[in-house]
Amino acid sequence: MLNLNPQTLKKLRRFRDIKRGYYSFLTLVALIFVVLIAELWVNSRALVVSYEGDLHFPTYTAFHPGTDFGLSYAYETNYRELQEQWEADGSDNWMIMPIVPYNPYENHSPNNIYKPEAPSLSQKHYLGTDTTSRDILARLTYGTRIALLFAIVYMVAVYLIGIAIGCAMGYFGGTFDLLFQRLIEIWSNIPFLYMVIIVFSVIPSTFAIPMRIAILLTVMVLFSWTGMTYYMRTETYKEKSRDYIAAARIIGASNTRIIIKHILPNVLSTLVTFMPFTVVSAITAVTALDFLGFGLPVPTPSLGELLKQGTANLRTAEWIVMSAFTTLVVLLTLVTFIGEAVRESFDPKKFTVYK
Amino acid sequence: MKTIYRNVVGLMMALLLAGCGKTEVVERKVIDNTEEVLAYYAAKPDFFSFKTLADIPTDLSWEDGSHLPEIGSNEAVKGGTLYNTIQDFPRTLRRVGPDSNGSFRPFLLDYTTLSIAHRHPNEFDFHPGLATSWAVDKENKTVYVKLNSAATWSDGAPVTTDDFMFMFFMYQSSYIVAPWYANWYSTQYTNITKYDDHNFSITIPDAKPDMDSRVLELRPSPQHFYKELGDDYVERYQWKFQPTTGPYVIEEKDIKKGVSIALTRQDDWWAKDNKFWRNRYNPDRIHISVIRDTPKVFEAFKRGDLDQFGLNLAEYWYDKLPNDDKDVQAGYIQKSVFYNQIPRPTYGLWMNSHKHLLDNLDIRTGIQHATNWQLVIDKFFRGDYARMQTSSDGYGEFSHPTLKSRLFDIDKAQDAFAKAGFVNRGPDGILVNDNGERLSFTLSTGYEHMKDVLTIMKEEASKSGLEFRIEVLDGTAGWKKVQEKKHDISFSALSASLEMYPRFWETYHSANAYDNAFLEDGSINPERKVKTQTNNLEMIALPEMDRMIETYRASDDKAQMIDLAHKMTKQHHDYASFSPGFYQPFYRIGHWRWIRYPDDFNVKHSRSAGEYYVHWIDAKLKEETLAARKNDETFDPEINIFDQYK
Repeated sequence: MLNLNPQTLKKLRRFRDIKRGYYSFLTLVALIFVVLIAELWVNSRALVVSYEGDLHFPTYTAFHPGTDFGLSYAYETNYRELQEQWEADGSDNWMIMPIVPYNPYENHSPNNIYKPEAPSLSQKHYLGTDTTSRDILARLTYGTRIALLFAIVYMVAVYLIGIAIGCAMGYFGGTFDLLFQRLIEIWSNIPFLYMVIIVFSVIPSTFAIPMRIAILLTVMVLFSWTGMTYYMRTETYKEKSRDYIAAARIIGASNTRIIIKHILPNVLSTLVTFMPFTVVSAITAVTALDFLGFGLPVPTPSLGELLKQGTANLRTAEWIVMSAFTTLVVLLTLVTFIGEAVRESFDPKKFTVYK
Repeated sequence: MKTIYRNVVGLMMALLLAGCGKTEVVERKVIDNTEEVLAYYAAKPDFFSFKTLADIPTDLSWEDGSHLPEIGSNEAVKGGTLYNTIQDFPRTLRRVGPDSNGSFRPFLLDYTTLSIAHRHPNEFDFHPGLATSWAVDKENKTVYVKLNSAATWSDGAPVTTDDFMFMFFMYQSSYIVAPWYANWYSTQYTNITKYDDHNFSITIPDAKPDMDSRVLELRPSPQHFYKELGDDYVERYQWKFQPTTGPYVIEEKDIKKGVSIALTRQDDWWAKDNKFWRNRYNPDRIHISVIRDTPKVFEAFKRGDLDQFGLNLAEYWYDKLPNDDKDVQAGYIQKSVFYNQIPRPTYGLWMNSHKHLLDNLDIRTGIQHATNWQLVIDKFFRGDYARMQTSSDGYGEFSHPTLKSRLFDIDKAQDAFAKAGFVNRGPDGILVNDNGERLSFTLSTGYEHMKDVLTIMKEEASKSGLEFRIEVLDGTAGWKKVQEKKHDISFSALSASLEMYPRFWETYHSANAYDNAFLEDGSINPERKVKTQTNNLEMIALPEMDRMIETYRASDDKAQMIDLAHKMTKQHHDYASFSPGFYQPFYRIGHWRWIRYPDDFNVKHSRSAGEYYVHWIDAKLKEETLAARKNDETFDPEINIFDQYK
């Protein structure tokens, strides 16, 4: 941020002037922030518990067994019940619960049957519950968080591989280029979905859920970096033949220096414009995979799984599909708006229009 | 960057298109195996014998099931088309061999063809199928059969003794690529003797109280049709419809691959007026279309494109087609619950006691107490299902009379885990032992539709400090995993056929857990290897259990078998490797008003409403209902509960 060159600053200023994209960007940043701190507002654990004069903040700590608060059981305290009990007893102990007092995994049914319940303010199920009485808002929040983080990590990884290989192909050319082009042609023809299915059938389930998500991510990255290399390769080829590169080489700059200091900054605009669309495709892909049942492992909250439940219960529980669908549309629209604005503001042709 | 998405879409299309391949026309060389079959018989004179009618013992007591009541309703009328659905198009029309054991098999074989005799679905005794009478010779472990001389295949050829002899040739051969058949038909039968075209006898190795069923439930193979049985059986017979002894045939024009298939009733079916077969198999045509998605099947049913829809799941019975649904209230769609009596599929947690930690009895006991089946039954199944008590419920006096499954009890679970060294809880509330191992197991299943059951149990188990890592696989992969004994804990069920007594050898004998489980002195063989592809999913290897199973298998004394069954059930319970889940004591369906069932709806031992084909289509009612629907006229709603066999 400190040493941006005037060109880049101009582009950023232009981005700010495109109101739709700019506000979408701010909204998305706010959204990411809100889901990152989801534990503070969607959680079955209390924010603050005052028990016999001591204050406890259970949100981010190890679990508190019921015995910590004078209950008889050794498993995780049920804070909602405890709060009700304290209020009923008129006890001096108190606690503050998050706005949505449910976690995305627990089955909480007001009427003792696990089935979809319509949104209800009094039950604090603001978007209703899903087919096994889990809070939809909670699942949506954590599902969105996973999808967003997934997409961002995916994008970074795809870019790292794509840029490195694409640049190398364009810069070194010759046999290296030829070899990798063929390799990529073959590689990109391997059906990605089959690979996901095959890989998931052989990885042992002893892996924890984060590990399995990481594997899904790796497989997706492995089969998507190829698209990026084509753009990088052509751009690098173009820049490489320019005089300033020749000059740098004569001065004695190393390959690494030329690529990082000279070529990369000049091809950045191409890359940046693709970024949001990569994020969109990652969110879509992971949602689609979940919908087909090959995505995130059960019971991870996910948009695709909610969509699937929703379409299966269109007649009886339309709130499921509505929340999932709205979230997906909003998310993808925001990212697309940002993408359009970025493309427009980084477009070098902006001031070279002939009339 | 859109490649992923494009790939996903492209693949889905590829998958869809894969179902629509063109029929290949391959010229195959003509085979005539008549000589080969005769040579095979001659090479095995002990198995295939030829005698004369005079050789049939005269002191046999022949049975013909004539004391049993009829099955069909005399109100039934023939005619109409029944619209049905199936999730996947059948991969083959063959009855044995690769891919033949799919969901289409009941239409092709199980529910629509005749064996020598059938268990009466209300009375349990046998009634005639292809035979007119039969006699059991316990001493010589032999069953004598007199075939009905009227019995014919659907192409007009008579059903004869040769078709039964040929059945053994076919099933024992390697042509059909079905190892189970080869093993079963060469070890579980020791002889077939032909007396003439309609008289034969079959001998089995051990006398059993229900030895009649092992012979009487055999279905012949038409020798004239399988004349070309050879190395290319799998491809040659892939889409050929085998002539049937039953009422329905599949005509070539009705096979629309990937789309639909239809069964057509033969007007001149040989058994149509026989006592136990008349007034059944009433629709002229059964049209089966492929619809993959259950919600879509339901929509098609609501439109009237399908005649019936299974409402076993609570969400369909209570929410999607509730009693106050307007089609139900208008009387267009009727809802029926039927309480049946069958051995239940054993839904439960199968723990692999070969695995580390799960080899500890305390841990297994703890898991039993940490598993909240009752909550699943009460809240997820809305109290409709019932808790299973042992793995062999539903066999009458063979089932243990008093044994109860362990109840959900956090304290008992924690005590058991503590005994196994799991006392302290980690930061996430899961128990950890002194070696730092977490009390965590993979809970895998091949039942995608039951995944909610597992997520509920996972939440409940964490209260006792136990973690289930849920793994939902597709059906085939899930089954493969347990067959290779790679699971920790599996949520699955073995289905049981209508039999007199439960089987124990398959699931609890050490021979199905390890190769050479024990040394000669009875101690555990340190080099024993896990045996895969068997149904001993719990890896039980107990010498005591082995002895009881062997006695039980060899026994022909019913009282002794009952006693042993109880003892084995008890020992299995004590071993605690199977946490009995739930069973569904009924089936329920919704059907349009024009589908009629007998007054008492169905037969006692039926698994589903369609199994015994006692329903029929009332064309007049169909017309009337469709007209009424158009003009908004209504009928009395009908929601019926048939609990006479509850």
